[in-house]
Amino acid sequence: MTTSAIVQTQKLSKTYSGLNPVNKVDLRVQEGEIYGFLGPNGAGKTTTLKMLLGLIKPSEGTVKIFGESLNKHRLSILQRTGSLIESPSYYGHLTGLENMKIMQRLRNVPDKNVDEALRIVRLENQKNKKADQYSLGMKQRLGIAMALLAFPKLLILDEPTNGLDPAGIGEIRELIKSLPARYGITVLLSSHLLSEVDQLATSVGIISEGSLLFQGSMTSLREKGSTTIYLKTGDNPKAEQLLLTQGYSPAQSESRLGFNNLGDANVAEMNKLLVENNIPVTRIEEQKKSLEDIFLELTGKERSL
Amino acid sequence: MIKTLGLEYFKIRRKKIWIMIMLFLGVEMLWAFISINRSIASNPDQAIWESVIHTIASMNGLFIPILSAIIVSRICDMEHKGSTWKMLVTTNVGRGQIYSAKYICANSLLLYSILAQTLLMVVFGLIKGFPGAPPFELLIQFIGGTLLTTLAVTALQQWISLAIKNQAFALCLGMLGGFIGMTIGLFPAAVRHIFIWSYYMDLSPVTFLYDEHSSSYITQTVGSGLVVAALIMTVIFYVAGRIHITLKEI
Repeated sequence: MTTSAIVQTQKLSKTYSGLNPVNKVDLRVQEGEIYGFLGPNGAGKTTTLKMLLGLIKPSEGTVKIFGESLNKHRLSILQRTGSLIESPSYYGHLTGLENMKIMQRLRNVPDKNVDEALRIVRLENQKNKKADQYSLGMKQRLGIAMALLAFPKLLILDEPTNGLDPAGIGEIRELIKSLPARYGITVLLSSHLLSEVDQLATSVGIISEGSLLFQGSMTSLREKGSTTIYLKTGDNPKAEQLLLTQGYSPAQSESRLGFNNLGDANVAEMNKLLVENNIPVTRIEEQKKSLEDIFLELTGKERSL
Repeated sequence: MIKTLGLEYFKIRRKKIWIMIMLFLGVEMLWAFISINRSIASNPDQAIWESVIHTIASMNGLFIPILSAIIVSRICDMEHKGSTWKMLVTTNVGRGQIYSAKYICANSLLLYSILAQTLLMVVFGLIKGFPGAPPFELLIQFIGGTLLTTLAVTALQQWISLAIKNQAFALCLGMLGGFIGMTIGLFPAAVRHIFIWSYYMDLSPVTFLYDEHSSSYITQTVGSGLVVAALIMTVIFYVAGRIHITLKEI
């Protein structure tokens, strides 16, 4: 996998009547990765993705895709990009296959791509049905098939599992996971579901109220989750006094003493010290921050994802 | 361009646009021929080619704005309904190209309608035994004038149909245009020439002249000023619509 940036934005901003739905976002998506663009509803994900596709004009900042400026090389960039933004787009009075044929002609790709894309999203048996008669999940699959049709170098998917049933969500996730290795496609997907990004993405960008709060690999995000050791003793005030004299920094938390980033040896030593001083240790717990805790810590708000 | 135009024809399949055109054309021609038949019955001097050209031109002022609104609305509304405009503009085809393809597609359908209308006029004249051969020069001028006015009307309709999602606005504009086109003869020329829908009559090669004792059809030379005015309106509506729609954020 190479490390060149496929998508790169600099101070990308959008202003609507004094408000900044997107504020100085510096996005960096590397080639071959699945980049999860995570944020609560209304955080600015779709607006950012629309700016990457030229659907809306940035108020400030620049967008470079494949190393080329979007302003100057829009059509050449779009030729190598597939996308599904917000809801799936389709002509309801035409069949699934006819919808695909329209995209085929626009994208100038061979017939086999149509068959392959329909097969990938498992719509080959429903292709002669009018799109209006499709269920929401089938429309979503059709949208993904249309985005995949030219097997582009970059695939931008906005909430790709919306409207799918659990089995469909699983299938689409597996499909997305396989795209970089199977077809050399770099995927940029947005989601408000932390679990989805956790399962799919190799890199993540967290956006809230228009600002990018974190960007990096999933591993580096998880590393932000420090562990805390909680001790419960028969006499917490006495235990706290004792441990303070020994150089530990306990913090009272409900009926427990909390310690950040303690190694196993330190835990064993504390336990020994307390027992030797006739303070019974009734419980030792380790708590690691979940991705959700990290997200809430980053955004600084207790809000629903 | 040919590819995007071909796609527009592909996309309107099952939209029943042809049925709509045939129905409108059928009603208009039936109405016109019954009306001419009656006037010939009361005044046999009116059994001339000019009468049919003038009657159809004046009725076009009512029918074509509405037909144009319907056709353009059908072609544009499908992009709103399935949110497909954003899909089209994220491919490597320019927005302006798609806009032009829609414009050409709508006008080509209306041109078929105008040509069919002319053919029916000739057939009617031959059946009724109008004196002389069909006046091809007048008929070509009729086709040119009707098409030029239609080009401006569709440019305006397409702008509204793509800019406003609710097609009731575009259809209301078409009906308003039809009403103006039908009643505009009652207004003085200076007022008439402001409204594009009046040009169906103004660009007709035949007019109806009333004097104190009689009335008659006379052929007229269409002033180049009116042709230029219609052309300017076409360019303004088309260019303004195209710029507005291509720059509009999605």
